[in-house]
Amino acid sequence: MKSRFLLFFFVLTAVFHISAPLVKGAEILPRPEGAINDFANVISPEQKRPMELLAREVLEKTGTTVVVATIKSIGDNDLTDYANRLYEAWGIGKKGEDKGVLIILAVEERRIRIETGYGVEGILPDGLVGDILDRFVVPQLKQNNYDKGMANALVAVSQVIAKDADVSLTGSPTGSPSRYPARKRQVNPLSLIMLVIVIALLLGTRQGRRMLPFIILMLMMGGRGGGGGFGGFSGGFGGFGGGLSGGGGAGRGF
Amino acid sequence: MAKGKRNLIIAIAIIVILLLSFYSFVKGTYNTFVTLDESVKASWAQVENQLQRRYDLIPNLVETVKGFAKQEKEVFIGVTEARSKVGSATTIPDKINANNQLTSALGRLLVTVERYPDIKSNQNFIRLQDELAGTENRIAVERRRYNETVKIFNIRIRTFPSNMLAAAFGFEKAAFFEVPDAATATPQVKF
Repeated sequence: MKSRFLLFFFVLTAVFHISAPLVKGAEILPRPEGAINDFANVISPEQKRPMELLAREVLEKTGTTVVVATIKSIGDNDLTDYANRLYEAWGIGKKGEDKGVLIILAVEERRIRIETGYGVEGILPDGLVGDILDRFVVPQLKQNNYDKGMANALVAVSQVIAKDADVSLTGSPTGSPSRYPARKRQVNPLSLIMLVIVIALLLGTRQGRRMLPFIILMLMMGGRGGGGGFGGFSGGFGGFGGGLSGGGGAGRGF
Repeated sequence: MAKGKRNLIIAIAIIVILLLSFYSFVKGTYNTFVTLDESVKASWAQVENQLQRRYDLIPNLVETVKGFAKQEKEVFIGVTEARSKVGSATTIPDKINANNQLTSALGRLLVTVERYPDIKSNQNFIRLQDELAGTENRIAVERRRYNETVKIFNIRIRTFPSNMLAAAFGFEKAAFFEVPDAATATPQVKF
């Protein structure tokens, strides 16, 4: 009876060790729904559809992911910091290439920011991004035309990207979106083999059962976690591949 | 006889498992140290890239502001001096210190600009200010990533049981990039 309990405890420990890195980071950030993430409900369905199509077309033709997000309130956060962390959490663009742009609106705070990934800093320097905001976006947002403002931001950014890639945008994607492979977690094979051997020994022999507490202790000492990942949930839009932003871009209040 | 043999096999098996797990512990821990040490170095390099970017941006910014506000000599001298200190700093703590001073000197420059509406509406200045704000933000982002890496590394080095191996292999704590409150606070305008 006692050994059953110990075994249960052991299995629990082992399972916990393997799955521990999944619960990483206490902060709750929204998950992406696609290219246009209208969490604040300020973009009309008529406007949303062409925006979604444009973002897909840009991704197909240039490999650059442009994502729009509207948030009702970001609370005590600073939008500059929030945008960067959201960018990282979503992993916009392919890992290593980091060709992505996040256009984010905080409605209650009345702030907008265009955050550029490492890979597009060259074609979208901060000064140009600020210029786009001043000319096409902020005037619309000031009049509460969130629809038009966000669409303008997306179109302006897309045009810069398309021009650099030497392609022309038609407003409708051609085929199915290219999807980046989702990142996978890795489990050390050695620890899995050990697990099987140990369980077999522990279950098979009385001496083994006696050794249980000691072995649990050893395992706890040697425990190591693999890297966690978070990808492949974007509902048909494949632009999330672990990209990073270094904090480039520009922001404005309105 | 049969029982003794079985006991022996089990004892050997357990010893092998213990040795294996000790080996895997040492190997894993040591390799983690090396990996983390390298990531600390890599993230510091990223911080330095951005600091350099700001360093390169300053002459242009100062020239633009000078065109509108020649009389604000003190502010320009402050920025230029702080910048040259950054250029001559060699060790990491010196660099951190010099850059914190440059941050506050730049803060004073931007506060001064507030008094000149002409500069604020100048297209060239708006661009430069965006570049500067973007650079400051990049520095903040890389600093946060650097500090996160340092934190993971230092925790590894100081917690039991890996701290014993850290001491044995000679891994030492890395320094955080800390920003004094004065540098993050908005400078006050004095009239």
